[in-house]
Amino acid sequence: MKRLNKHLTILILFSVCLSFVPVARAAQTTAQATAQDDKAFKFTKVDLDLLEQVNLLDKRFEKEGLVYHDEALNSYLQRVGESLLPDVRLENVEWKFRLMRDPVPNAFALPNGSIYINSGLLALLDNEAQLASVLAHEITHVYHRHTYLQNRSVRKKVLAINIIETIATWNPVGGAAGLATNLLGTISPLLLELSIFGYSRDLERDADLEGARRMTITGYDPQEMVNTFKLLQKDIEGEQIKLFYNDHPQLDERIAYINGLINSKSLKGSPDPLTFVSKASYLSTIEKAARHDVQIAINSARFRSAVYVSQKLVSLDSKSPENFYYLGESYRTLGPRAFELTNKELTNGAKKDAAKKHNKYTPEEEEARLMATTAGQENWKINQQQAETSYLQALKLDAANPPAHRGLGMLYEKLGRKTDAMNEYQKYLEVAPDAPDRERIKRRLEIVKGGS
Amino acid sequence: MNKNFRPALPLLFFLLLGQSVAHAQYLNPKLTSKQTVVRNVVILPPKIEIVRESTKGAEGMVEESAALSSKVADLVAQALSDKKIKVLDSPFANQTSETEADRKYTLADIQTHYDALLPKMVNHSKDVKKERFSLGDEVLNLNVDKSADAIVFIRGQGKKLTKGKTVFSILNPFSFDFPFVFITIGLVDAHTGEVLALAKPATLGDVTNPKAEKPLRKMLVKSLKKLPDAP
Repeated sequence: MKRLNKHLTILILFSVCLSFVPVARAAQTTAQATAQDDKAFKFTKVDLDLLEQVNLLDKRFEKEGLVYHDEALNSYLQRVGESLLPDVRLENVEWKFRLMRDPVPNAFALPNGSIYINSGLLALLDNEAQLASVLAHEITHVYHRHTYLQNRSVRKKVLAINIIETIATWNPVGGAAGLATNLLGTISPLLLELSIFGYSRDLERDADLEGARRMTITGYDPQEMVNTFKLLQKDIEGEQIKLFYNDHPQLDERIAYINGLINSKSLKGSPDPLTFVSKASYLSTIEKAARHDVQIAINSARFRSAVYVSQKLVSLDSKSPENFYYLGESYRTLGPRAFELTNKELTNGAKKDAAKKHNKYTPEEEEARLMATTAGQENWKINQQQAETSYLQALKLDAANPPAHRGLGMLYEKLGRKTDAMNEYQKYLEVAPDAPDRERIKRRLEIVKGGS
Repeated sequence: MNKNFRPALPLLFFLLLGQSVAHAQYLNPKLTSKQTVVRNVVILPPKIEIVRESTKGAEGMVEESAALSSKVADLVAQALSDKKIKVLDSPFANQTSETEADRKYTLADIQTHYDALLPKMVNHSKDVKKERFSLGDEVLNLNVDKSADAIVFIRGQGKKLTKGKTVFSILNPFSFDFPFVFITIGLVDAHTGEVLALAKPATLGDVTNPKAEKPLRKMLVKSLKKLPDAP
């Protein structure tokens, strides 16, 4: 679970800088720093400046519609989050647990106590204990002041590299010493980058281990943290690329050290453990948010994730027309793609190639390229059939379900069944006269009419 | 190469570029052929991110970025007005934390869609002329004024240097650290979502400085120079 996501460009700039401290030294400093308790943490001007920026960023997320609003869900997140909190009041921290409208399975913490879990991760999880594992990890980042410590560390390293590079540029020394200074100036960015990522990995490991302890104290089973990592390992979109260095430990490594902690029996549980919260109960609590996530996953061209979540929703509640509608939408937009990636597609090289293509082509172009292949055409046929079946099931459960009519209209339009498409669009406009996308559907109806 | 000349090269580069601005612009043939005419536009909330680079790294400037975004939007509106293109009131101009959630989500989703397309447009800007890029008809979900022909998206990023960092960048010219701003202005058909125009103005210098408003205005006007005037 990354603390920083794509929305946090500014915070990334705080962390992704270069310095000159060797990795081993950085790791040692981390261990010392994270062992401090909060009383030992004194705010400096640098920390307060960072806090001010973070508070502004928090407001911006809200203003820009990136935060999901649902009172029941917010209360639920707050309740689970607060149950995991340490019994210490932290200076300049106000705990808030909120859902970010982002389909990428991720979560992050701001040092002011705002913890965001992405809708993509909330929908991927199977039970409350797994949600607790994510929140406990993020709480540790705040509790141990990781962002401030990393910011301080990065600033020192960047100053060092600036000095070294300047000396190397004007290096008046010749011979071996001069060569060594120049070499140092050249390779220092790489060394420092490694040290920063090493530092970051140490903080993540600390957050995992402390998070597992915190779960146990509250009464959640720490094994669910392992299960959360296993869910993340599914890599539904084939996007987990192993790089030369990463800011998080590999998932295998995380599973191993959490299992090690559990097996060491050093975890001391709550005398009054919580009743295990079932998958069905968890999913029904997050159902509305999960549906919302399906829509933003589709908007973000994460079609496989959309199918995965909507299948989960249908298996939870097969009487819900909304769930069948979202399943229909997911299959329709999946188009010529296969729902599951093959083992070959999940190799690191294949993922890198896919990422390059993703950066080069638009989703429409990617779809057109796949449609030119036999496999793509077969997938398209299967997915469109699945979509039609799901929409019809939604209408069987609720004959006036407006989105299902709209979905069928779009499906039939693409299939070239113009009369059927017109009928479905017309029905949609009849049953949803105040729909916000009315203009869009009216325009589509005109186009289909014009072409028929 | 003689080591003594090395620091001089970037200095020469800066001297050549120091006062210059770039303003690449690409138009969809539908605009040039007047198949599509832009008379009225709506400007969506812009997003320009500026960071302050000190000797100890980059620091966020959230408030200053918001102020610059607003200023650039005003200057783009003026530049469009000079072309007799009317800038309509944006239904999203005064969005606050209390704005209706669904409305905020719709805007956020369209902005995200544009942000996902933008790197492809920036890397292959000439393809705007090949009518390659579109946001699709979902732009209609924004429900902007019905008379709007196009929607304007403004994005940008930049950097300003602290005094200390400026000294370091002079002493170490190979670090290629200099204050700059790079802006993109995209005009998208308000009905079909097709990208009609893309401008990529860029300049060196600190644009958060109040004295920079005049050159900034000049740069934005130049960047929209090829855009046909409204009839």
